[in-house]
Amino acid sequence: MSQAADSETGRALADAPRPARAGAPAGAWGRPLGYAVSAALVALVTALGVAAASFGSLTNLALLYLVPVMAAATLYGLRTGLFAGLLSSLAYNFFFLPPLHSFTIRDPENLLTILVLLGVALVTSQLAARVRQQADLAELSAGRNAALAGFARGLAGLSSEAEVGGALSAEAARLLGVDAVLLLEAGGRLQPCAASAPAHALGALEVAAADWAFDQSEPAGRGADRLAASEWLFQPLIAGGRPLGVLGIARPDGGDPLRADQGALLAGLIDQAALSLGRIRLAAKLANVARLEERDRLRAALLSSVSHDLRTPLTTILAAAGQLKAARGAGIDPALADGLLAEAERLDRFVANLLGMARVEAGALRLNSETVDLTDAAAAAVHDLRNRLDGHRLRIDLEADLPLVRADPQLLHHILINLLDNAGKYADPAGAIAISGAHEAGGLALAIVDEGPGLPAGREADLFETFTRLEGSDRKGGTGLGLAIVKGFAEAMGLHVSAANRADGRGAVFTLHFPEALLVRAPAEAAS
Amino acid sequence: MSGLAHKVLVVDDEPQIRRLLRNTLERAGYQVAPAENGREALRLLHIEKPDAVLLDLGLPDRDGLELIPLIRQRSDAALLVVSAREAIAEKVSALDLGADDYVTKPFDTDELLARLRTGLRRRVQASAESQTVRAWDVDIDLLNRIVRKGGEEVHLTPKEYAFLAELARHPGRVLTHKQLLNAVWGPVFEQNVEYARIVVRNLRQKLEDDPASPRLIVNELGIGYRLKGAEA
Repeated sequence: MSQAADSETGRALADAPRPARAGAPAGAWGRPLGYAVSAALVALVTALGVAAASFGSLTNLALLYLVPVMAAATLYGLRTGLFAGLLSSLAYNFFFLPPLHSFTIRDPENLLTILVLLGVALVTSQLAARVRQQADLAELSAGRNAALAGFARGLAGLSSEAEVGGALSAEAARLLGVDAVLLLEAGGRLQPCAASAPAHALGALEVAAADWAFDQSEPAGRGADRLAASEWLFQPLIAGGRPLGVLGIARPDGGDPLRADQGALLAGLIDQAALSLGRIRLAAKLANVARLEERDRLRAALLSSVSHDLRTPLTTILAAAGQLKAARGAGIDPALADGLLAEAERLDRFVANLLGMARVEAGALRLNSETVDLTDAAAAAVHDLRNRLDGHRLRIDLEADLPLVRADPQLLHHILINLLDNAGKYADPAGAIAISGAHEAGGLALAIVDEGPGLPAGREADLFETFTRLEGSDRKGGTGLGLAIVKGFAEAMGLHVSAANRADGRGAVFTLHFPEALLVRAPAEAAS
Repeated sequence: MSGLAHKVLVVDDEPQIRRLLRNTLERAGYQVAPAENGREALRLLHIEKPDAVLLDLGLPDRDGLELIPLIRQRSDAALLVVSAREAIAEKVSALDLGADDYVTKPFDTDELLARLRTGLRRRVQASAESQTVRAWDVDIDLLNRIVRKGGEEVHLTPKEYAFLAELARHPGRVLTHKQLLNAVWGPVFEQNVEYARIVVRNLRQKLEDDPASPRLIVNELGIGYRLKGAEA
């Protein structure tokens, strides 16, 4: 680790809590200054001792040497302390123990003094080291907290994902001294969102690591358990239990991306950014919901206004036409009155279909399902279309033991009206139209069978297309709207629709398939 | 019958509809009093003392449903609500609140007049409830609890009879599923529409000429049942 790099502001914060320290591998022997200071202190104490000795008593002179030993151990750590202890004992021995000015120790008691001095150095330095370590830790976390708080403050003002991404990659790069790139999930895959330096091309291995980190919500890449061959280390950003993206970091000089003491800081940065991204996404979602609600409100307003404004004149016209037809007074051409009524009814059905289609398209179909007897459904549809199907022979042919079904009676009615109307349009004018209901594998089938030319050969499938596409059908005057609604309403209720030609080729069959799940086997005891 | 002509209060905010209903009803021999909002309707109810009220539920000044109990308190006029075809829930609420029947917009003139006649007849019968109801070729003897079709006695289960009798007490008038279930099975079962479906299916097997095309017990989609063939 070069000292030059440490002096950069960018690394100062991360590196500051790592001073040379006793026990730490880099500073095991302490700084030269410590030895010099220790030596000077020992010399000073010795000088004082010599001065004091010239006045006489020197019994407890050894105690004086505790000062440089403790000072050295406290300030510079174990080894410098031991050095001071050793030096002190040598000086004491040399200057004050008989025989003076020699290192010979005559009295074993004096050996004890030397051992005590060394012991004090040992204990003091341990205590001091522990205190210093705690101070370092406090400083480290204070620095980290300050950095995170600053980052969080910065994030609070940001309102787009790109800004947050930019802030995160820049801050990670600045604080950790790495290159950083942020990938966010968009449209099902990770997309680069921001990078601390331009043009980071990630290799296949890096992409794989990024994907793994995203999918598993765990770090991957160099320094992690997985895909360690990747040069980059990827950490997931998780908000609300869901991964949003990954932050990739790498050292420009090819070293390990993340040093052991940087993990907590990086995790803090990532958490803050993920929170911020989560907030922005939520805000965007809320804005979107508000927009959708507004659109739905407008649509509902339009629907009800169309419904009302078209229906009111239609109601008047229909009733007037009905009365004209019934009156058959002088000067009224019956054919004219019939035509007027038929066309007004057609317009009414068309308005109903438009409204129905708008509801299907809006996804606004609310089901009011209840138990329905298909006998009632068929009878009601035939009743409502009695004028329209005048001339056709109508047959209702339902198996007697047909189960009840669960359906929205109104939607089912609309479906049957449209299918009958469709049959009336394309069947032979005097041909029979039958509504038949029968058990089938997996449920029951309700079919509208007509007598006529049937569907164009090979076009049955196309007809299903027009169910959804709403494009004009080439069959007589149809818009395709009616069948589109049949499909839309049927699917909303969980039914399946199919169209085919009769087996004998003499007409078309439109079938509603009710799955087993929609059949109701009512308790027979209800009737007793 | 001009002197005895029934008076109908028509409540609708659309002038064209009021004019149309006035024409239709006057042609059929009724007197008509038009009102364009709820306040006017309550005022005319007091002054004109109508025999029947045709109430559109979409009024400008207040919810038509709110008016139903108010009209019921002030008058025993036959009360028919007018409502759009799709508004099934609204119709059910109106009937449960005390309306006698409903008419769907756009109107079918014949249906409108038939419902009005049925509603007016209810007023006459309210005091002296008839003991035997005849619908098509089915006789329902409410006193002796006997049902005959074409003169032949038909055996019904107690629930079947109770259901048919409830309909027969209000011939031609719609009864909601809830009203019928409540009357026959009790309030606990008023949501069990399938009970009504089963009983009606059995009744049709026993009483209809063609059970697949019922004309005696007719279902009103999503609303309830009506006994037909007894209106005349």
